[in-house]
Amino acid sequence: MQLWQALLIGLFAYLGRNQVPWLFGTTGGFYAMGRPLVAGAVIGLIMGDVSTGVLCGVAVQALFIGQIVPGGALPSDLNFAAYLGIPLAMAAGGGSDVAVALAMPLGTLGVALHNFTMTFNSVFAHRADRYAAEGDADKIPLMNLMGTVVHFIERVGLVTLICYFGSQFAGDLIDKIPAVIMNFLAVGGKMLPALGFALLLKQIVSEKWMIVLFLAGWVLNKSVSMTTTALVIIAAAVALLFVMAKGNGSANQGAAVASSNQTLTEEGDYDE
Amino acid sequence: MSKLTKQDVSKAAWYWTFFHHCCQNYERMMGLAFCSTLAKPLKKLYGNDKKGLSEALTRNMTFFNTEPQLGSLIPGMTLALEEAKANGEPVEAEVINSTKSALMGPFAGIGDSILVGTYNPILLSIGIGLSANGSPLGAIFFYLTWTISVVLLKYFGFIKGYSMGMDAVTTLLNSGLKDKIVTALNIVGLIVIGGVASTTVAAPIKWSFNAGEMVVAIQSSILDKILPGLVPLVLTLVCYWLMSKKNWSANKIILLILGIAAVCVPLGIM
Repeated sequence: MQLWQALLIGLFAYLGRNQVPWLFGTTGGFYAMGRPLVAGAVIGLIMGDVSTGVLCGVAVQALFIGQIVPGGALPSDLNFAAYLGIPLAMAAGGGSDVAVALAMPLGTLGVALHNFTMTFNSVFAHRADRYAAEGDADKIPLMNLMGTVVHFIERVGLVTLICYFGSQFAGDLIDKIPAVIMNFLAVGGKMLPALGFALLLKQIVSEKWMIVLFLAGWVLNKSVSMTTTALVIIAAAVALLFVMAKGNGSANQGAAVASSNQTLTEEGDYDE
Repeated sequence: MSKLTKQDVSKAAWYWTFFHHCCQNYERMMGLAFCSTLAKPLKKLYGNDKKGLSEALTRNMTFFNTEPQLGSLIPGMTLALEEAKANGEPVEAEVINSTKSALMGPFAGIGDSILVGTYNPILLSIGIGLSANGSPLGAIFFYLTWTISVVLLKYFGFIKGYSMGMDAVTTLLNSGLKDKIVTALNIVGLIVIGGVASTTVAAPIKWSFNAGEMVVAIQSSILDKILPGLVPLVLTLVCYWLMSKKNWSANKIILLILGIAAVCVPLGIM
């Protein structure tokens, strides 16, 4: 593969990476340019064989259809999988089966990279905290932009290098990272949101007993498999009961607004 | 006292449309993008009031995570609430925080399942069908239909959120129900945050020990039996306790968490 081809593929991999802003955020980026179907067509065009590229894209896409990234936890980095699996397969003269076989382990490697940037980028949030405290509004979007610089170096750099030096390089790279390090990144990344929620609780909990509500939400959602929407309805019911019980008669007004339930307004003290 | 023009709101909406994930990280998720979206309008609203501006910016730097395409309504709504607050109307910081927290979960759930989990795969399936013979037509069809429709949804969702936020403020001021609504929002917010946290924070225990001939896996045969998600729950509460009672900084907590991982992973505990 020519260097310019490897570079172009690296650039499109970056544009279709999760979190990269330039194509209308994730909409035209991760969820469109990053999909293997689109990646296949783009790579085919760059490598001068659109038809093979598209067929590889279709095959890899079928593997990963309907993937969502709940809470930023990427199951498999299909952008990395597609933008490396397809060109490596095509360069090796293989078809869609080779692309699919390469895509699986590459998706796993991509997740490790995703975990790394998702952990590393909190640095910029801390920087921005300082600017927020100083009331320096202009520097905050600058910190936001720094995140994508990390993504640029990571994706353009790695994809270009791997495409250029070939699949042997990819295999070696995966082998060279000790399993302990990969595991450490995964475990650390999973625990870090605890800090985010602790910060949020610190802001919202004004009276001690309120922490019980957090506890209840946690236990309900974790013990009974339910959607967040279901949880919101339960939470609204609890809030309604609380407001009604606390305010006695006049609280009916609050209850009526919260639930928009006509019958509540007929219970008496509704004086508007 | 200054007001936001249509252009100000539109600019913020475009900023969110492009940059909502730009610096996503495990600690705040889209918190930095959220604050960045509001930064310029807030600067205009507060003018020379540095203290007010820094409070507003700090308030919007907290953890925020939702499905950003459908959830663009939330920063729009927040912008309206912040505008009212900046102009001296009695909107408490609590109301703004709770509104965000209460809405982000459901929007994440609905957005992920409807947009990303259903609409995107449907269009992809059509695209795969059109491209099955190697023609790029399917890829082009998918790219254009998905991107155009969802970008419109995202942009106008923000604008809609802004106008809804204005209405919400008017309702609050005119009806005198504010305290009750604040309490109700706080309750809903905390319960929902608990739910979202339970699915986001994880601390899988791999450790198992041999009791005679039996292998007892700590996670599945003990911890999960007591309470599913017990370890991450304790971890979250300990972090909260350290921050609010012991005044630990965020950096110290990060070191603690990475320290735990660094010790437990090589030992095979996690």
